[in-house]
Amino acid sequence: MAKYIIKRILYSILVLLLVSMLIYGLVRLLPNDYVENKLLPMLNQGTVSEDDIQRMKELYGIADNSFGGIVKGYFGWLGNALKGDLGISFKYSEPVAKVIGRSMWVSFIIAVLAYILVYLIAIPLGIKSAVKQYSVLDYSVTTFTMIGISLPGFFLATALIKIFAVDLGWFPQQGLEDATTLNEGFSRFLDQVYHCILPMATLVILSVGGTMRHTRTNTLEVLNADYIRTARAKGLSEKTVVYKHVFRNTMIPMVTMMAGVLPSLFGGAMILENVFSLPGIGKLAYDALVVGDIPFIMGYEMFLAILTVIGTLLSDIAYVLVDPRIKLGK
Amino acid sequence: MSDKTILQQIEEGYQGVGRKDSHYISAKEGRIISRTNSRIISRLEKNKKRKADESEYTTEMRDPNNIVEFDNLHTYFFTDSGVVKSVDGVSFEIPQGSVVGVVGESGCGKSVTSLSLMQLVQAPQGQIVEGSIRFQTSDFVYGEDGKPIPIYEYAKDENGNTLTDEKGEPVVLTRPVTDKKGNVKKDKNGEPVMEKVQAVDENGFPAFEREPKTYDVAKMPTSQMRKIRGKEIAMIFQEPMTSLNPVFTVGNQMDEVVLLHVPGATRESAKARSIEMLRLVGIAEGEMVYKKYPHELSGGMRQRVMIAMALSCNPRLIIADEPTTALDVTIQAQILELLKNVKEKIHGSIMLITHDLGVIAGMADYVVVMYAGRIVEKGTVEDIFYRPMHPYTVGLQKSKPVVNQKTDWLYSIPGQVPNPIDMPDYCYFKDRCQSCIDACNGDYPPLVQVSDTHFVACYRALSEQKEGKDE
Repeated sequence: MAKYIIKRILYSILVLLLVSMLIYGLVRLLPNDYVENKLLPMLNQGTVSEDDIQRMKELYGIADNSFGGIVKGYFGWLGNALKGDLGISFKYSEPVAKVIGRSMWVSFIIAVLAYILVYLIAIPLGIKSAVKQYSVLDYSVTTFTMIGISLPGFFLATALIKIFAVDLGWFPQQGLEDATTLNEGFSRFLDQVYHCILPMATLVILSVGGTMRHTRTNTLEVLNADYIRTARAKGLSEKTVVYKHVFRNTMIPMVTMMAGVLPSLFGGAMILENVFSLPGIGKLAYDALVVGDIPFIMGYEMFLAILTVIGTLLSDIAYVLVDPRIKLGK
Repeated sequence: MSDKTILQQIEEGYQGVGRKDSHYISAKEGRIISRTNSRIISRLEKNKKRKADESEYTTEMRDPNNIVEFDNLHTYFFTDSGVVKSVDGVSFEIPQGSVVGVVGESGCGKSVTSLSLMQLVQAPQGQIVEGSIRFQTSDFVYGEDGKPIPIYEYAKDENGNTLTDEKGEPVVLTRPVTDKKGNVKKDKNGEPVMEKVQAVDENGFPAFEREPKTYDVAKMPTSQMRKIRGKEIAMIFQEPMTSLNPVFTVGNQMDEVVLLHVPGATRESAKARSIEMLRLVGIAEGEMVYKKYPHELSGGMRQRVMIAMALSCNPRLIIADEPTTALDVTIQAQILELLKNVKEKIHGSIMLITHDLGVIAGMADYVVVMYAGRIVEKGTVEDIFYRPMHPYTVGLQKSKPVVNQKTDWLYSIPGQVPNPIDMPDYCYFKDRCQSCIDACNGDYPPLVQVSDTHFVACYRALSEQKEGKDE
């Protein structure tokens, strides 16, 4: 198993290298130039000249957009990244790693709480509606979750803000903290949680459906298995049959899916954070992308890539833990 | 509404469905079918979930030597294209200590008959709609506290006579209570706490008072049926590869049965019992197999584990549903030999379902031949093999290869089983039968007794029988 993991990590490094090449190339090819974006108004006013802009571009390392220039820029970025230096964000004027490290926790806390809620709601519901297939409960759960799946995130978020924040006034409309009062310590934390409720609810409503459908399908499949008939033939109660024999088998694909959630835990929800103006990593990345902040985009994308690679590795390991039939080879 | 029988309800509900000229179902017919189905299913499901008093499903055996009596059993499947009469009026009995073989080709209702006996027919579509299945059981006698009444060991003197107290009542043997480490538990005064010694039955489990009872499985609510499943009737399935849960060890799955059905069983005693059972089915390294997962065992080993699991509560009846179909021939012989031995050890009966006549000839005492949900012939194994009367039985035997006999062509019965949703009203076998007579155009032939043990449902066989008697 240790051998397998080491091998997987070596493969992952190769994958990350290729990913970084691809992303750098794509980002550089975007018709979106940070220096031009910033200096264009001044150029129009005549405060800076074309030469100044060219000089600035060279300073930022984005002057040469030829193939050779991009390759050179890539290796420059890679060399620094290998040394642990992701560069300084154009937009935030701070080291990229520092910005990511600071803002990811906001996204992480919202996502973690939301996913815990999702699993707590979706798995029991999925099992219940599979056991009572085609019952009233099954149909109503399926209908409501389908509505959740089909709604676009930004629309649902806006609708929730309209109803619960604007009309009813139960929750703040946006942001992470109340700007009108000064909170310290625990009361500040409570205030932040209060601000996170609507974004969290949106996330839960959006993702409950998928997980629930997944659980339901898995459970239905397992319920028809021969070994479930054997379990019933032993005289076990329906409860033991479902929550011991069915559940363990349903959980095999579910656990692997859970490990795959890792990137979305830290990666933030770009659109939702924008709608709710939360200073999470998703919103920062969006803003950086709009202005063409190459070091930040690279840093963010690589962060996601690493999380994805770790997530798949974790789900492979989780597979071994829940399914005795699977042994990791060398 | 509930005073109507289910059969009447089906007939009424299905009025206007099923035109003879078309194989398709119109939208209107489809609606009638699904409405009727859901009404009948919900009635039957409610019936299975009801809380019933024991007297509701306690009956009498027709013959106390039988362990199971199927009586006019109807098990139907309510599908979207109509009612499939998988088992349509089947009656036969399983005498105590015997092997009854049920033969027939695939889809003729063999398995559904056995699953009906376990109440394991795929619900909610599959339901027992009519008839009864009487099963003789020896249930625990429950005391006022709802727990089974234990049998205690009585103190004996040197001569083996039971000691009695002043009132003449036998003295119950007692022993000091010990904790897990073997230390004697003491009360406040320093005296050891005493407990009554419970007698042990032949399996090494604490003994309880039992009484013979006869239940009608077709009327039992599922909650009551669970007490019989696995304990009184155990089942061995066709596919050993998929019949064990892949994520639990063999030991875990075996212990479960013992822990569930034996009052007072502990993890240790259950484990000991499981390993003993594994040994009984010819697995030498019981402890090792006990710890293994099913995927680490071969097909033959898994089927042995299934048999061991079935035996662990000393069932009175084992249903073996094609136990060797998925195994190769050498393993098949071993497993059948094992089943035979096991039957003698537990003094139980076996209901053996198979389509292999060779297996039946070697194992069974009685044979039931089923065709399209009905019994076409039944009798002792000699009746069926030496004096077969129904052309279907004859055809089955002809289609079996014979060792040392050279033939160019192996016989097979021509044609196919009729469509189960739309059965003809004459003999179901008529269209495939090569020896029809005029009478065959009439109604479905009744099952008629031709000798003490031999029954057949065929006009031709009957007329031949009559001619034989006349001469």
